[in-house]
Parts: sequence; structure tokens; C-alpha cells
Amino acid sequence: MALMMQQFNFFLSQILFSQINVSEAPSIWSAFKRPIDISTYGHLSDWLFDYITVSITISFIFVCAGLFGFCYYYSAKRNKVPYYTYGYKKAHLKITLLIGLVVFFAIDSMIAGIANKDIKEVFWKFPTADENPLHVEIMAQQWMWNFRYEGSDKEFNTDDDITTNHILYVPKGRKIEYRVSSKDVIHSFYIPFIRNKVDAIPGRVTRLWVELTKTGTYDIGCAEMCGTAHYKMGAKLVVMEIEDFEKWQASANVLAKNGSDPSTVENYWGWKWEKQ
Amino acid sequence: MTYAHDIHPAPTTFLTKYVFSYDHKVIAKQFLWYGIFFLGIGGMMALLIRWTLAFPGEPFPVIGPILFPHTNGVVPPDTYSMLFTLHGTIMIFFAITPILIGAFGNYCIPLMIGARDMAFPLLNLLSFHIAVLSAVLMLASLFLPLGGAAGGWTSYPTLSTLIGSPGAGQTLWCLSLFVLGVSSTMGAINYITTIIAFRAPGMGYFDMPLTIWGLWLTAILNALFIPVLGAGLLLLVFDRVFGTTFFLAGAAATTGGGDPILFQHVFWIFGHPEVYILILPAWGMVSDFLSFFSRKPAFAAKATALSMTAITVLSTLVYGHHMFTTQMSPLLTQTFMTLTMTISIPSAIFFANWLGTLWRGSISFDTPMIFALGVVFVFGLGGLTGLYLGAATTDFYLHDTYFVVGHFHYTMAASVLLGGFAGIYFWFPKMFGRMMNETLGKIHFWITMIGLNGVFFGMLVVGYAGMHRRLYNPFVYEFMQNLIPLNTFITWSALLMGFGQLPFLFNFIYSLWKGPIAVENPWQVGTLEWTLPSPPKTHNFDTIPTVKCGPHEFGNPLLKTGRDFQYQTEELVR
Repeated sequence: MALMMQQFNFFLSQILFSQINVSEAPSIWSAFKRPIDISTYGHLSDWLFDYITVSITISFIFVCAGLFGFCYYYSAKRNKVPYYTYGYKKAHLKITLLIGLVVFFAIDSMIAGIANKDIKEVFWKFPTADENPLHVEIMAQQWMWNFRYEGSDKEFNTDDDITTNHILYVPKGRKIEYRVSSKDVIHSFYIPFIRNKVDAIPGRVTRLWVELTKTGTYDIGCAEMCGTAHYKMGAKLVVMEIEDFEKWQASANVLAKNGSDPSTVENYWGWKWEKQ
Repeated sequence: MTYAHDIHPAPTTFLTKYVFSYDHKVIAKQFLWYGIFFLGIGGMMALLIRWTLAFPGEPFPVIGPILFPHTNGVVPPDTYSMLFTLHGTIMIFFAITPILIGAFGNYCIPLMIGARDMAFPLLNLLSFHIAVLSAVLMLASLFLPLGGAAGGWTSYPTLSTLIGSPGAGQTLWCLSLFVLGVSSTMGAINYITTIIAFRAPGMGYFDMPLTIWGLWLTAILNALFIPVLGAGLLLLVFDRVFGTTFFLAGAAATTGGGDPILFQHVFWIFGHPEVYILILPAWGMVSDFLSFFSRKPAFAAKATALSMTAITVLSTLVYGHHMFTTQMSPLLTQTFMTLTMTISIPSAIFFANWLGTLWRGSISFDTPMIFALGVVFVFGLGGLTGLYLGAATTDFYLHDTYFVVGHFHYTMAASVLLGGFAGIYFWFPKMFGRMMNETLGKIHFWITMIGLNGVFFGMLVVGYAGMHRRLYNPFVYEFMQNLIPLNTFITWSALLMGFGQLPFLFNFIYSLWKGPIAVENPWQVGTLEWTLPSPPKTHNFDTIPTVKCGPHEFGNPLLKTGRDFQYQTEELVR
């Protein structure tokens, strides 16, 4: 397994250095966009984001219209005599309650409904065995990501497991299920390009599934504060066509078998993949 | 129910008058100075953080080389973690809490409800001096060999256990907050008792100014939830010092095993109400000021008070939305999400009431008022952006990004800060007997407003673009290269906001001695504290007043007194 990393050094350098093009400085407005979406479900997040943006913009326009409009029309200069109401008028209570309920039913319950549906039907609907998902175990540590694929024996934590760190090779167009844990402190497995993240928690295994739609190399980050070098705890997601991925998997599998050293206990950090 | 004598005798020596005073007004000023001092320290830390994000690897100008001689003035990565940890901690516990709750709570509660002092003056005295002890512990941690706490203000284990933070700084951090919790609990019990038992005769709960409502609800939340934080911190100290494993799991838990997520539950059971602990006093003040300066009764004030109460209750039921990405069971996730969304009902109600108060008023734009209007604006933005984070679908993406940072700064920092300034400008004449300068106040407002929107809206945008939190140098990531210019812009805005506080500081200190002498009631407001001379005597009221009407009686056309408002001690004219 250790040998394997050296074999892929060339590949690694190609990926890491090919895409950074030092061009002219970006404009300030280039920050006003999301990273591209490379997953089958990222659009749900984007759509809901835009939906909320529209709803709250409308609400905020009302607030500002009231705030600035009233400040203009009812300033002491223009309106010398304020309108007096004694006590608490029932009508006032009714108006405010109505506004509260309209906001709740028109905006919040819509959003909660959509998000509930997304969770149930997408984010928590993990791929079943007949969808043939790729299984990957992820072990986070200060400050590195370790990835483990099952070998040809379809079992985790055996000699023919493929392990990588810093680079996560995955196929396009096949569902992938990650099981994530941590060796030391809490980390968070974060891929901005799929609009999703899940915490890596010592003593627990968390899950995340994704199906990718675009090949290429993308950033993975650690989103949870994990110590001094938290900011450097990145990795690369390399998305390949299925055929390329299978080719890589086959050769890596051979390398892993040949290079495995049963005496190195720390290489066996994986765990049995259980049905959940 | 009048008292024949003072609650405590008038102090005679310097020590009893200014240091170990039982007088709630003096303790309030002590908390005010304490808070302003830490606001300065926390603000400097914010500027160091922002500088690092905009100009990674460049020395901080002027004071950088003095603070970090080993790196020629560049903030080192480990120091950076300490800075954002202590920035959060100091701003929340040592700046906002003392100013909003310590200073205004102590100052306003007895004066506005017509009492001579707090129910427990000794507890009050102790609560300040224990807060000082807590600050000493926190600052002492900075001088330890491995430095102060560096695990973020949330200090999640296992990073905050010995696995991630070996130095004693984290232990001191826990102890300091525990001690501060003792102080806050003392204060809270005092406030609750005083408001329930010491209201002037005739003052029902709905005759209390809304400021008092906010402070009261805050005190209730404090008394209920600060002990929860204390328990969590104590367990964390046990893990660190005595080798227990409450929060350890996995390879690190050699004997038995706990659960790091347990701490998150304990922390956020406290942590979500804490947000409302900070904002409720500001909401109360804003609700009052909008009415005071519109010269018009607060629109549906009862509904405002009740919706603040509803929010207080709801705030204890929604904490799980901080933990969506820890993968709680789907049922919990959905429940917390739905409960979170219901907060919008009371929020919308009091927003409507705020605007309703302005409607057909006769608004004068004095400094306290423009700050209060500023709160309405920034809290609108802050509250509404919470929707993205309450919905799990979008939260999976935005959690732990700068979007969250922008959101909670809008709600907790911007709104509370503006509310606090409004309070300072408003009660300064009563506190110190002099007026602050209006022009400087307005300059202060506009610079602060422009600066803070540049900072916090910029944060929302970079978070939307995917930039995650607590990064020493975000630009090691390829996908964030395009965020450099905006981060630079945010830093310039932060510097603007920082320098914008200089007019305030000058105004505050200058007016203490040289400001024009304040009259008894400069804002022409009818609540009880304005019936007293500025500043009031040690025992506040010679005779305890009898309250006959609500706090917002403005513009009654039947008034024949030549004033457009009624004091609360006057029978309602109808």
C-alpha cells in the first residue's frame, strides 16, 4: 500500500499543478457566484437557496419600504401631529397576527416542507445494493484525509484495500457512499461542488452519498475547526469516467496487493462495512 | 409601600463609593466601562483576523511587530486560532453581556420600575467583582507558555480536550467562563426577583417599558441556561484535568468512552438561547425608542411583549439546527427544522409592530433613534438570512462557511452593538448628567453602519461562494482564488468600522466632563427614570411613585399640560 503512493506521484503532481493558472487578478464581482455544481442533487440546494433569496428579498423590501417610507413621510418636519391610539386596539393585534401567519405559511412552511422532502427523498435516501454504489471509507486526522476502497474481495480492512490520501478518485455517473470517521478531533468532510458536507466524528461513523456528473479535479475541504493547520486540511476530488476509474482501480488493486505489509498495523484503520 | 429609609446608607469613602459599591447605578457604570474596555480588545482582535484574511503573510501595521516579534509582525497560524477563539468569547461574554445586560440591566431596572435598588445589592456587587475575576482568568491564559484557548468559541471536544489542546489555556478558558456563569446567574436571579417584587405600586407587567420586558426575559433565559453551560464546561475540565472521558471517543478513549457530540448538545442547549439572551435587551430598547422618538404609543405593545415571550420559549426548542451536519436522526433534523421555522411568526409580529409604531408618527432623528432604526435594518437582514441556515438542504452547504459568520454577526454583533449604542446615547444624560454631542453621534452612526454592512454582507457573499470558516489562509484552496478581492474589501470595511468608533470614544469621554449639562428629561419621555434629576440620587426615589398609566403615552390630543407626553405617574387623560 505504501508503494502505491509513490507510483501515483506523477499523477498527483499533474493534477495539483496543471490547473492553477496564474492569470490577471479576479474582479470583486467574481465572488458573487457559487462554485459549479458537479452532483445530481446540488441543484436542490441551489434552487432552495434562490427560492429563499426571492422570498426574503420581497419581505425585506416590505421592511425597507416601511422603514424608509415612514421615516420620510412621518418625519417630525412633515408630520407635526402624530396619530394617537389609546391602549391596545384589537384591530392592531389582528393585523400583526395576520402578518405573522402569512409570513409563516407563505414563506417558512414552504421552505421547511421543501427541505423536509429533500432530506427524506434525496439526502437520506442512501443507495441500495442493487444500485451498485462505490463504497469509500474516509478517516480524517489532523491534518489529512485518508481514503479506503474495498479491493477485489469486496471486503474492507483487508490486504487488497486501495488506500490513498489527499486524493479521492471517484467515477462519474455511479452512486458513491462515503462512510466517514475521525482519528482524533472532529473534522468535516466538505465538498463545495456538491453542496454538501458531513462531520467526521471520533467514535462515530457518519454517511454521505453522492452521484457526480462532471469529470475533473475539485477541492475538498475540512469545514470544522480542527487545530492550527485546519486551513491546510484540503484534498482533491478526482472525478473520472467510469472506464478510467475502473482501469485505475484495477491497477491500484494490483499495486495494493503487492505492496501490502501486514506488519504495519496502522495501515489497517478501516472497519467492516455494515448495512445500516 | 414606601420605604422610610434607604436600602443601604449613602457611601462616604472612595472605595465604598466607586469600587465596592452596593448602588445599582455605580455597578451599572462599572459594567459599562468593563464592557467598553473589552469591546476595544475584541475589536482589535477582529482587525488582526481580518488583516490576516485579506493580506496573508503580510505584517500587521504599527502594532504587529510589537505583538509578534518572532514573525516580524505577521500573525502566526496558532495565534490566529487563539485570536478568533478569544474574539468570539470576549465579544459575547465580556463585551456584549456586560454592556447590554450588566450595564443597562442594572441601571434601568430599578429606575424604570420605581425601585430604590436591586432586590439583592450584595449579590449585585459580587456579580461585578466575580466578572472581574473571570476576566483576569481569561486574560491570564494569554500569558501561558502554550497560549490561550484556540478551539473556537464553541470549543468542541475532542479538539478542546488534551488531544487537541494540550496547554492550560483551554482549562483556564473553561474556568473563566464557569466563573462568569456564576456572575451572570447572580445577576439574573437579582433581575428576576427585582422585576417581580419591586415594581412600583400600580405597575402591572404590561405597564413596564418594553426595555424591562427584554431584560426580564433575558434574565430568565440566563438563569435557566447559563448553568447548563457551566455543567458542560465542568465536565470538560474533568476530562482535561482528572482524566475522565465524558467527551472522548474512538482511539483516544483508552478507558471507556464518551461522546464528543454530547458536548455539542449541552453547548447548544445553552448556545441558542444565548443568542436571544444577547438580542432581547436590544429588542426591548428598540421597541421603546421607536415609540419615544415617533411621539406615538408603541403599536400593539402587548403583542410585542408577548411575541418576545414566545421567542424566548421557542429559543429553547430549536438548538438542534446548529448540528444538522453531525447527522442526527432524520426525525430530529426535521423536528428542529420545523420548530426553527415557527420562530418567524413572533419575529414577523414584532417587526410589524416596529413599523406600525413608525407609521403616522412624528419622527425626530436624534442619535438614539437612528441607532434604533439601524437595528431594525440590520436585524431584518440578520433574521431573514437565518432561513437559509434553518433549512437543512441549504444548511448542508452553508454550515461552517462564512455565510454563518455573516448571519450571526448581523444578528448578534450588528444588531446588539447598534442597540447598545442607542442605549448609551439615550441614557448617557441620566447616567452622567451631561449630554453627548449629536453631530459626532450621527457621524459615528453612519460610519459604523456603512462599515458593518460592508463587513457582514461581504461575509454572506464569500460564504455563499463556499469559503469555510476559521481558515488562516483561505487562498490555499483553488476554488477560493476569486474571493481575494472581496476579502480585501471586507477588511477595509472592518478598518473603517474600527476607526468609526473613535468619534464615539472621543464623544463619550469628552462629554463626561465637558458635555452640556443635561436637564431632567432631555428626550421628553414619560417613563419613571425621567422624573428624577440627572444623575439620580443614591436612593433614586424620595417617595416611591405610584404608576397610573403605560410607558408610551405620547400625542394624546386631550392633554392640557403643554407637554405631548404623560409621565407614568399621571392619571391617563381620556
